[in-house]
Amino acid sequence: MPYMQRDALIQASQFQSTAARTPPGLVVQQLSLSYPGNGSALVDINLDIPAGAVTAVIGPSGCGKSTLLRCFNRMNDTIEGCRYSGAIYVGDNNVLAAATDVTALRRRVGMVFQRPNPFAKSIYDNVAYGPRIGGIRRKRDLDEIVERALRDVALWDEVSDRLHTGALRLSLGQQQRLVLARTIAIEPEVLLLDEPASSLDPISTLKIEELIYELKHTYTIIIVTHNMQQAARVSDWTAFMNGGKLVEFDETDRIFTNPVERATEDYITGRYG
Amino acid sequence: MIMATGQSLPGQRRWQRVLGTLMIWLTAAMVTLSVLTAGAFLGLLLWFAGSWLTAEGMASGGVLVRFWGNLQQLLFQPSASLGIEAMLPAIIGTVIMIILMTVIVAPLGVLVAVYLSEYAKNTWYTELLRIAIQNLAGVPSVIFGVFGLGFFVYAVGGEIDGWFYAETLPRPTFGTPGLLWASLTLALLTLPVVIVASEEGLARLPTSMREGSYALGATRFETIIRVLLPAAGSSVLTGVILAIARAAGEVAPLMLVGVVKYAPTLPVSLQAPFIAFEQKFMHLGFFIYDVAAHANVGEGRLGLICAAAVLLVGLVMLLNLTAVLLRKRLRDRYQALSEE
Amino acid sequence: MSEKLSYKQHISAQFNAELDAIKNDLLEMGGKVENQIELATEALLQTDSEPAEAAILIDRSINRLEVEIDEQCARILARRQPAASDLRLIIAIAKVTTDLERIGDEASKVARVAIKLAPVQSPQPTELRFRRIANHVNRMLRQSLDAFARQSVEQAVKVVLSDADIDDDYHSAMTELQQAMRTHPDHIEYLMEQVWALRSLERIGDHASSIAEQVVYLARGVDIRHADNEGLRNLIN
Repeated sequence: MPYMQRDALIQASQFQSTAARTPPGLVVQQLSLSYPGNGSALVDINLDIPAGAVTAVIGPSGCGKSTLLRCFNRMNDTIEGCRYSGAIYVGDNNVLAAATDVTALRRRVGMVFQRPNPFAKSIYDNVAYGPRIGGIRRKRDLDEIVERALRDVALWDEVSDRLHTGALRLSLGQQQRLVLARTIAIEPEVLLLDEPASSLDPISTLKIEELIYELKHTYTIIIVTHNMQQAARVSDWTAFMNGGKLVEFDETDRIFTNPVERATEDYITGRYG
Repeated sequence: MIMATGQSLPGQRRWQRVLGTLMIWLTAAMVTLSVLTAGAFLGLLLWFAGSWLTAEGMASGGVLVRFWGNLQQLLFQPSASLGIEAMLPAIIGTVIMIILMTVIVAPLGVLVAVYLSEYAKNTWYTELLRIAIQNLAGVPSVIFGVFGLGFFVYAVGGEIDGWFYAETLPRPTFGTPGLLWASLTLALLTLPVVIVASEEGLARLPTSMREGSYALGATRFETIIRVLLPAAGSSVLTGVILAIARAAGEVAPLMLVGVVKYAPTLPVSLQAPFIAFEQKFMHLGFFIYDVAAHANVGEGRLGLICAAAVLLVGLVMLLNLTAVLLRKRLRDRYQALSEE
Repeated sequence: MSEKLSYKQHISAQFNAELDAIKNDLLEMGGKVENQIELATEALLQTDSEPAEAAILIDRSINRLEVEIDEQCARILARRQPAASDLRLIIAIAKVTTDLERIGDEASKVARVAIKLAPVQSPQPTELRFRRIANHVNRMLRQSLDAFARQSVEQAVKVVLSDADIDDDYHSAMTELQQAMRTHPDHIEYLMEQVWALRSLERIGDHASSIAEQVVYLARGVDIRHADNEGLRNLIN
């Protein structure tokens, strides 16, 4: 039953002709990953992430949820000795293939991290960073991109009068929205959010969640969070992971009212596992 | 809290507290002492320099007039009677050499630091490299002079002469001590300082900053050039400041690789190529040594030395101040990461 | 999945205590309602106003419990943000409380009828059927509360299915009352009261059935309120 609904959802988004663009869904096939000296971090993950929706990945610390997220843009490549097998399709391309141009992939699959990590540059230069390394040089084009990205994350009104001051002077909540703007500025198709609100106060958290809701029409969003209420609030689909394995994947409504797996139930109701 | 309840501290803890208090007072006393000593020393320097400059000698008139007269004399005119050269060429030589050294050591040090911090994996080789760099800082400076003479002047300079200046041989052009070799030798001498400071600056940047750049599709090179180095800029500048301070004080190695008592022309000119890399030049540090060792100034010698020393100290301070201001501007613009 | 959710302990002992407290309150309320129905039907059948007075008195403490349980539900929703089985438990408890309170109201109505009828000797053509209907709804309520306490889907489904069993008695009793009205038009006022009482008993059966439906939602997460008998039987097989 859930699978049929999921397929319908994917199809529906594929046939959306009115939308300006259609983000791709992600298909994970038999993904396994290991770190040196640390055994298996991911074990045989199979997962269909629907397009144009928010998918939350939840699970206890060390369950591999962040590791899974970092597979989607090959961020794990920066870790020495990390080995993986299987396939992840973003649209038609296998991300994990050796031939994949990783920098091009990362421009398709953007990522926002746990702690806000703006560069030690001005607000403007932070947002313009991605477009600039993408080869956009004309000031008029950059101005336009920066303004649109900042408007998209509802930061424009707060910073438009000090675009050329240091980004590190912003509050943490503003910094995280700036980082989101920086990611949006390169127009990715998929957004990976790694506990994007875990270091923010509740109001900033709500702002980020509101943004996620706004952005999901144009992006396929995958959010890793240890805050279950947050997953329940923002996501359409929820994946529960434990011990490097995918335990359950279903519509968020179902996961939070009537999960199938016992382990899921125990985790989201806060019982001893 | 223990005191409040009227109980005495256990013996060991009480002893530790007494010891701790003692240490703090001892440190404070030592710091005060050293600051006072340095202050007194500088005061003495100024006093001697001042009294020599205002003494009735070459010029006469009021105190200020005598001061100006003597200073001008000292700066611009060699004095046969005193047996000294003019000081200005020495000042210019010192400044040019330090600037040239900075231009060489800063990129070189940053390059090595980037390699060690961003590219090199942690192997026995890089470990060895780090130890070597740290040991380099402990080598007596005159050894650098010997190395500069042997390697730069004779080996490299000789080769250059063989290739490009063969027509003037056997009179050497680069195969003899000169400004370039002196700058290079000092650059080598101060390289460890710049490397260590820059590497620490880079290492302090959080991984998340690198990942943030990679996640936007930047290559490692773009990340280093556009994100990491600007962010580590103030650390690099700190290293450069320390390097300048160290280089400005060196005399011994320079005597082997380019400094002379008297150079007929300045190493800089207003015509291209502006800097004469191969020329020998004068240096303030050497000037002090020369006055101390050879000048014919009788009773006033100490005052003359002090005046030159004050100038040298002032010069180093000025160079440092420039770099410090530059660093402050950099920090102000983007708020240092360490304040987080 | 096991038939009964064997509750493992929450990491928060406080949360456990809160859930235990609210469940206990609900079962206490259920016990009071059962007692109230017994007293009311007893009064009606024995034409004795004394147990009827007692039944009406109980209604007050039932109402108080309803408010209390609702408050606890709101508190847990606000402060614990329960999910999955915990969420279903709170929703089910809130709904069951409402059903119990309505049952209490119906029982009070029956008790009032009993008080009205006690002094008069009106014909009671339907005593047998009345008794059977009363016993049946009483059993339904007890079983649905029992099913709730044990989260037994099987027992709950049986309660829902048994709701149809009183239909025959209900219609026969109605017919008999109509006949009595024709033959004793002078007693029509009292016979009408009996119709109301009968109607109340039937409503109690409906509410008991609704409680049983909440049990299935609680245990399985399935809403069976509008399922047909076929679907219900599939649940327990």
